Amino acid sequence: MSDTALRTPFPERAGAALKDAFLQEALTIATTKFIDLRKESFAGFPQGEALRDRARAIKEATLQHLDAHLERLADNVERLGGTVHWAASADEAREIVLRLCRDRGVRMAVKSKSMATEEIDLNEALEHAGVTPVETDLGEYIIQLAHEKPSHIIAPAIHKTKGQVAELFSRELRGEFPPDPEVLTAVARKALREKFLQADMGITGANFAVADTGTVVLVTNEGNGRMVTSLPRIHVALMGIEKVIPSMSDLVVFLAILARSATGQKLSSYTTLVRGPRRAGELEGPEEFHLVLLDNGRSRQIASTLREALYCLRCGACLNVCPVYRQIGGHAYGHTYPGPIGILLTAMLKGNESVRELAHASSLCGACKDVCPVRIDIPRMLIELREHLDREKIAPWTERVVFRALRRLLMSPGAFRLSATTGRWLQAPFVRDGRLRGLPFLFAKWTRTRDLPPVASRTFRERWKELR
Amino acid sequence: MTARAEFLDRIRREVAKTPGLFGASTAPRPAQPAAAAETVRRELAERWPQALDRFQLEFELVAGVFHRVRDLEAVPGVIARIARERGAEKLVTWDPAALGFDAGPALARDGLTVVAARAGQEDEASRRRHRADAADAQIGVTGADLVLAETGTLILLSGSGRPRSTSLLPDVHVAVFGRERLVETLEQVGVMLEALHVDPERSMSGAMINFITGPSRTADIELTLTRGVHGPKEVHAIFVETP
Repeated sequence: MSDTALRTPFPERAGAALKDAFLQEALTIATTKFIDLRKESFAGFPQGEALRDRARAIKEATLQHLDAHLERLADNVERLGGTVHWAASADEAREIVLRLCRDRGVRMAVKSKSMATEEIDLNEALEHAGVTPVETDLGEYIIQLAHEKPSHIIAPAIHKTKGQVAELFSRELRGEFPPDPEVLTAVARKALREKFLQADMGITGANFAVADTGTVVLVTNEGNGRMVTSLPRIHVALMGIEKVIPSMSDLVVFLAILARSATGQKLSSYTTLVRGPRRAGELEGPEEFHLVLLDNGRSRQIASTLREALYCLRCGACLNVCPVYRQIGGHAYGHTYPGPIGILLTAMLKGNESVRELAHASSLCGACKDVCPVRIDIPRMLIELREHLDREKIAPWTERVVFRALRRLLMSPGAFRLSATTGRWLQAPFVRDGRLRGLPFLFAKWTRTRDLPPVASRTFRERWKELR
Repeated sequence: MTARAEFLDRIRREVAKTPGLFGASTAPRPAQPAAAAETVRRELAERWPQALDRFQLEFELVAGVFHRVRDLEAVPGVIARIARERGAEKLVTWDPAALGFDAGPALARDGLTVVAARAGQEDEASRRRHRADAADAQIGVTGADLVLAETGTLILLSGSGRPRSTSLLPDVHVAVFGRERLVETLEQVGVMLEALHVDPERSMSGAMINFITGPSRTADIELTLTRGVHGPKEVHAIFVETP
């Protein structure tokens, strides 16, 4: 997301999204459909709950020996003839890919959908260096042509209508295309087929990497993941360090729940296991395979508040059920990763300061935790994150003052009793239809978008005395 | 750039700081993968008819087209019919040795052009020729190394004479398999993959394994399901009864 977009405060970005009638409709349709598909898929899969527990345990167990698993992964990738690169930061990751392009005279790179490359703004860097990056996932291709950013982790272009896509393709690909998804998909197939055959480099992320065998695993539906790992002469896979898992036995556990959580499929159309560059005797496949291991703030959280966010599989299920995401969509969050998990990942990658406002973009209802395939306790971490914002004085001073006062009040029975009595007559001018509305001063921001129940005419404590 | 040692040291320091959120273990792994795989095969030797029924059900649910023939002699006839119905003229196939049969002569009699990959041909000219052939063929014919019943999935290993794009570039993918390829669950696939990787010969054969579950699909434009985005629009599985 560009800096200009982020200069608009979050409440205004969210406000704009709320006024966008088309976005509202698209979000409702998409998220509702994803929720239903997921629900249906798990309903017919009784072992799913146990597999989710197992998957969670695997992620935790792997983190407890993350260094050893990464070493094993790297050794095995090298044994298979691949090259491993270690990128501590986004800058380093970009530089590694750019240097590969420079040294090998790469002019065009085809990309399979990868949030990690979004995270490091790789496309801008490639363009700047004279390399044309071509996104090949249909949704990503659409938003690349439109110069936009993904609005959903697994459905990047859900904010666009078929009419808009038809217009975009007609303009960018020179033709007259009707607003028919079938036709538009065929148009993209033809345009991208040429790119697959011409490109020098294929760039992918990784859904998993199996330490034991040095295997990078890609899960896709369109087949672009297979194209970019089979046709160009160089394959570069970029992955966050938390994607490593120990063995093939672990992999099948994740495969059983990933697609169900994301799209309700039993498996996605393609699960591609890449074991280094092509072997002797193979007609196809890259001559070179490079694995870029990206830290970029992740290791800092291993022993910190956001540890559990390192379990994330990027399935998008928590976005679909989040009452905030469902209202404002991905763009309003303003960062690579939207939704409830996105707030935590943004804090992880860009620091607490970057989520000063977003940390509150959650009702803490817990729906995200319920659907997360690895049961990440997102609400707990959001609360802890808010606590950090307060302690590190990142939260606005008004908010900190109000909550400090509230804390005092709740800790002293005398003060609490007194506040009920005074509250009862102070509130009188602000009670309308039985709710507290339009409070003054520091409280105005709260009641601008919410109301409160007033202090009762007889409080529970007063009634309790009589009842005894 | 950060050196490997420095990168891993940082992680090691962080890992050492915390005991972890809870005691956890990874998935149990077969102590003897080869023996465990043999057990799976023995079980399936009995249970293959149930596995096949389940495969057919799941495969059709993901829009696969299932065919069943008595023996290998009948396979070219099915392929020829698929080609005729789609007006296809050119086919690419795996090496007949990898497929277990040679459909070429029979299909050629039907007026179809059949280009078979040949194991051992890997010079630059062969590569270019193969890519051009796969890009213009309408049908690609492969075998399947494992056929997973519970999800309707074909699992293909790449290798010599088994090009990756045969099942990817043509509009129609046809996979031919026998009962010995069937497994029932993803867990069994895990066992087979563990076994594959301890078998030095097979683990080094090709660099790619693909799980194929139905045709290429997308729902990226207004969530409308559309088939054949980049990969095949249709996937056929031909089950051959007699091994």
